[in-house]
Amino acid sequence: MAWITKNSGSTQIERRDTPYLSDEVKEAFNKRYAHRYPTRAALALPILHEIQHHHGWLPFQAIEEAAAFIEVEPSVLMDTATFYEEFFLEPRGKHTVWVCQSVSCEIMNEAKITEAVREKLGIEPGETTDDGLVTFMKVECIGACGGAPCALINETLHENLNAADVGKALDALD
Amino acid sequence: MPLDAPVLFKRVPTAPWGSANERIYVDYDDYVAQDGYAALDKAIGMSPEDIVAEVKAAELRGRGGAGFPAGMKWSFLPPPDGGQRFLAINADESEPATFKDQILIQYDPHSVIEGIAMCMLACQLDTAYFYIRGEYHHQREAFERAIAEAYDKGVFGENSRMGKVNDRAPNLYLHRGAGAYICGEETALIESLEGKRGWPRIKPPFPAVAGAFARPTIINNVETLANVPHVILHGADAWKGRGKGRPEGAPPQVPASFGTKLMGISGPVKRPGVYEEELGVKLTDVIERLGGGPLPGENIKAYFHGGISMGVISQEEAEQGVELDFDIGKKWNNLGLGTACITVIPERTSMVSMARNCARFYSHESCGQCTHCREGSNWIYKMLTRIEAGDGATKDLDMLLELATSMGSMPGHNICGLSDGTNWAIRTIVNKFFGEFEAAVSSKRTVSLV
Repeated sequence: MAWITKNSGSTQIERRDTPYLSDEVKEAFNKRYAHRYPTRAALALPILHEIQHHHGWLPFQAIEEAAAFIEVEPSVLMDTATFYEEFFLEPRGKHTVWVCQSVSCEIMNEAKITEAVREKLGIEPGETTDDGLVTFMKVECIGACGGAPCALINETLHENLNAADVGKALDALD
Repeated sequence: MPLDAPVLFKRVPTAPWGSANERIYVDYDDYVAQDGYAALDKAIGMSPEDIVAEVKAAELRGRGGAGFPAGMKWSFLPPPDGGQRFLAINADESEPATFKDQILIQYDPHSVIEGIAMCMLACQLDTAYFYIRGEYHHQREAFERAIAEAYDKGVFGENSRMGKVNDRAPNLYLHRGAGAYICGEETALIESLEGKRGWPRIKPPFPAVAGAFARPTIINNVETLANVPHVILHGADAWKGRGKGRPEGAPPQVPASFGTKLMGISGPVKRPGVYEEELGVKLTDVIERLGGGPLPGENIKAYFHGGISMGVISQEEAEQGVELDFDIGKKWNNLGLGTACITVIPERTSMVSMARNCARFYSHESCGQCTHCREGSNWIYKMLTRIEAGDGATKDLDMLLELATSMGSMPGHNICGLSDGTNWAIRTIVNKFFGEFEAAVSSKRTVSLV
């Protein structure tokens, strides 16, 4: 829900001495992406994806570093980062399960899949297991309606699911 | 009459010409071996104006949902002035129940790339961005591979066979979105491309004049561009030989439905998937012949015929002869053809829950700029949740309709069309299945009015 704002007045920013964006990462990134766009500000989505790829989520300090790197104010990059569903501004589990909840999946019994994940992991959508292994998300249409009900586990699409399949797929995560 | 040969799915096995299980990635060499890039070579020998004229003559209409004629869109561009000009390809396929473009991207990406190259030639655009939704991981990998092959074989880059386009080496880059439905709206897509929140812009200026990075920009859907090579290779007349054509007796300025269209079928049918058929095919025919009919024990009640934003078609209407073409909106009181990806709603599914699902989607995906979209969609969602829980009142139904109607019906009340989509989805479901809603607010009542 892109337009929900949170009170950030009491936010504590955790910092560490080692930068999140190392010089090697910056150099490799520049080489790969910088020439693609006429402005540095357009590197926002690629750099956020890059950070999330390495760290699993977007620590505030990393956003600050990235903002300096693409030459925009941290608030501007934060503004972008908060809009998109896929960016995590809080730590998440090592693996993420995205269960689709849109019309085709609902018709094809997505509720059973959700229930199976909930039972297996013992958590509600939006939460992470205590051991930090799996984060459970409900998501709007992931564009695989022909194989409804479907879910993404990390970057792998699972189609025509049933409760047993989900259990097996979750067991395979380590 | 069933389509005799596939146009877009020439290299993607699909019933009745092949099995979806046999689909494999078509690489550059396989693509060339099957007529690939012949249209691009032909286009290189043509003047840009001729390419645009041919696409215009073919009356190729946008396949992303709105059905705007591609050739006309291309002709809105101002003449080159020495600065950069962009193409943005909309692969942010996020409309619920829509999953047609992903097949092309994953299995036959070169057909899309060829269309992209031809559009760049025709409109003199030097840089193209392929905006793919964040959740399409398999598709992104396939497309990145195809882009690398295209650079390698001299389609793009310094050694492009197109030479200089707009005095620059032509380039195609993949840009990954990050999970926002609204970024499928063309100006939101541009904002997202520029590294901002996906907030649709107020028009004018239109993207053709000042789009990405305030430069002239064309935005086309994946399927639209994948049709361009066929149109150029075989000519506008061959293209117009397929499809329903113009309504009888209509003057030439009336938009028509020519060509074929990818149609997705999802829900409880025997063979869900993406198929190709001519525009104007009967909805029941698509479900029976291509989809194999409903699963045993299931009865069809209604359809989302083109993504949820276009509204619903009831089974009675379908049996009266609903045809999938660009006139479907006028004839059957819904918003339009949309993406032509059909979701089958069976008898066992409550229309109240479907409406609630749609409302949740819109309230979740509203970008929050326009008040009536941001507040209205959430209000509708809350009301429908209440009605579904058996705690609704009859007056809720009137309010539901009033709210939906006040959210706008294309065009003009809002910055973009998301709010209008909410209106059409909710209003058509409530109107066409009023009985179900009435039952939900009366018989299930748990709290007494007295």
